[in-house]
Amino acid sequence: MESLFLQQTLNGLIIGSIYSLIAIGLTMIFGVMKISNFAHGDYSMVGAYTAVFLMAWVPGWMGWVGSIIAAAAVVGILGIVTERLIFRPLIGRWTDIDIIMVSIGLFILLENLAQLFFGATPQMISDPFKGATVHIGGVSTSVLRVFCFGFSCIAIGALQIFLNRSKLGVAIRATSQNRFAAQLMGVDINLIYTLTFWVGAALAGVAGVLYGTTFAVHPLMGAMPTLKAFVVTILGGMGNIRGAIFGGFILGIAESLGGNYLAMEYQHAIGFFIIILVLLLRPRGLFGAKEGT
Amino acid sequence: MKTRTRLILVAACLAMISALVMPALGSATVKIGILGPFTGSLAFNAGEMKKGMELALDEVNAKGGLFGQQIELIFGDTEAKPDKGLAAVKKLVTRDNVLVVGGGYASSVNIATSEFCHYEGCPNVVAIAISPTITNRGYDFVFRTSPNSPQFLEGINEWLAKVKRPKRVAFFMENSDYGRDGQKIWEAQCEKIGAQVLDRLYFEIGSTDFTAAISKLKDKTPDVVFNIASTTEAALIQKQAKELNFVTQWIGVGGQFTQAYFEMTGPVSEYAMGSSLEPTKAMKDPVTAAFVNAYQAKFPGSRPGIFSSQGYDNLQVILDAVERAGKPTGNLAADRKKIRDSLAATNMKLSQGLIRFDKTGQVDTVFPSPVQVQLDNNCKADTQIIYPAERAAAEYQTPKPWDQRRCK
Repeated sequence: MESLFLQQTLNGLIIGSIYSLIAIGLTMIFGVMKISNFAHGDYSMVGAYTAVFLMAWVPGWMGWVGSIIAAAAVVGILGIVTERLIFRPLIGRWTDIDIIMVSIGLFILLENLAQLFFGATPQMISDPFKGATVHIGGVSTSVLRVFCFGFSCIAIGALQIFLNRSKLGVAIRATSQNRFAAQLMGVDINLIYTLTFWVGAALAGVAGVLYGTTFAVHPLMGAMPTLKAFVVTILGGMGNIRGAIFGGFILGIAESLGGNYLAMEYQHAIGFFIIILVLLLRPRGLFGAKEGT
Repeated sequence: MKTRTRLILVAACLAMISALVMPALGSATVKIGILGPFTGSLAFNAGEMKKGMELALDEVNAKGGLFGQQIELIFGDTEAKPDKGLAAVKKLVTRDNVLVVGGGYASSVNIATSEFCHYEGCPNVVAIAISPTITNRGYDFVFRTSPNSPQFLEGINEWLAKVKRPKRVAFFMENSDYGRDGQKIWEAQCEKIGAQVLDRLYFEIGSTDFTAAISKLKDKTPDVVFNIASTTEAALIQKQAKELNFVTQWIGVGGQFTQAYFEMTGPVSEYAMGSSLEPTKAMKDPVTAAFVNAYQAKFPGSRPGIFSSQGYDNLQVILDAVERAGKPTGNLAADRKKIRDSLAATNMKLSQGLIRFDKTGQVDTVFPSPVQVQLDNNCKADTQIIYPAERAAAEYQTPKPWDQRRCK
């Protein structure tokens, strides 16, 4: 019984770390540009396909590490392209709901393009740890999942340092707090927009490689991460990075423990149940600023 | 500017009209409509069905085609959604004027499309769907070349009662008609053989992380887990069972054993079972073996799975019925009626076995066998028939703990 509880907590922590990694980009983009990008999970899909192609060419460890870098580069560029061509021209001119519709359009477009070019057959990114597993006490998991957890934590930590210590990071946070004040202080808003999209998309791309290696790669794989990232973002407070980090872990653990002790068929509904509670009790999210501050 | 817009409009209208008229002018072909989810999450399985059909088409064309005319397959994409399926079948039956509608995949879609075909008086031969509803509504234009769910699980139920006799079982299935349909049949069987059901867990189609559910199953230590899932989910469940060091006898309906499944799981799928019409070479049937060889010659490196075989048989049955009905006269309603009558008299040996329809249009001669995934000397996984003895190509193997398995 006790080992089951530990096992479920571990399952939740690991999946939660991937949720956080995807949600951070989404919440950053929302914070800076006030855009709800429903195509965010598809950046992960593109990242995963980058890895599929690179791994076919360079197999093994080298290929996998290379894939993570290549996914960050390819998806980062895709992020910049979508920001410049699609989102920036719309900001300020169209309403939020229009931009949401455009991002849903982008999501459908990317999914269908992927199906057209890569086919619908699910593909695998071969596991560099060759499926090795670890068993400690009554608790088991794969080495790959442990790696994903560690990698996500390091990536999240590095991003935090960048946002808190570097000048550009501070500029991003300033823009997120107040776009116009930041502009008055001499922050190049357009550069910050591009930078935010680049970092957010690249993180989603890297998460896509981890997600695709742990699970499978197919054109529709982006939908689930998008959904989870939105749950996490609303849970932690829209635009709040710390909220996204903790929100990811909270969602992961709530899903696995809730699935175990309540009902497995409502596993994916648990996140939405929590959202309703949070929106009723703390409308700005668990980590969001209080009204009026 | 205004004249130019008007000219463009006129040109567009002309293009549309010519697109409508063209097929009507060139109707010297035998037109067959094929439904299937060619896009969406089941597209890769529909692709396998289509490959089987291409092989059937090649074979009939090589023998000179039908009545010296070319056979034209017109594909309608259902996206595995009943509403899209209805739109596609309406176009095939009323605009493309096909003689007969074949293919079809997913029960919920075919329940809707077959009803439409029946009321339009167009024969419909369903290829891949196991819900009993499709053929038990008394629609005399509806046929099905795949077994329904009770037929599908008959062999495995016999094996459970006579060989495995599990005491503790659990259910882990897709939250859909497919999942709950299979569950109903197995629940009844468990009651009959006195097996205790420890838990019933459901998952949503499209889920990727099953660790919470598998951890819960592991805690209950069942002898058998009935896992009703499609390819992607079933493959991920096998991989995650290994990660969580969980050993049990997994039993699925059988549709999950596709080429993609084996590519995704590799040796991890060892010992998994299902009920299958898998046309592997191990089958002692010469017609099936010929199909497997022809398929692999046409698609080198491909593994003919159940859906390729069902697609092949489906189109063969249709073309055979069209041929026996005689050259189409051009009176569509009468031609369709003649084809319906010749379909009812179908009696041919194909890759799944003998195909003959009962009074409801349900094939009653195809019986899937229980199969188990076993590994060869190179750790390559494939399904083997393990029951009944006269058809079996291998013995049943009890799942071993992960650290004692030969292939990692």
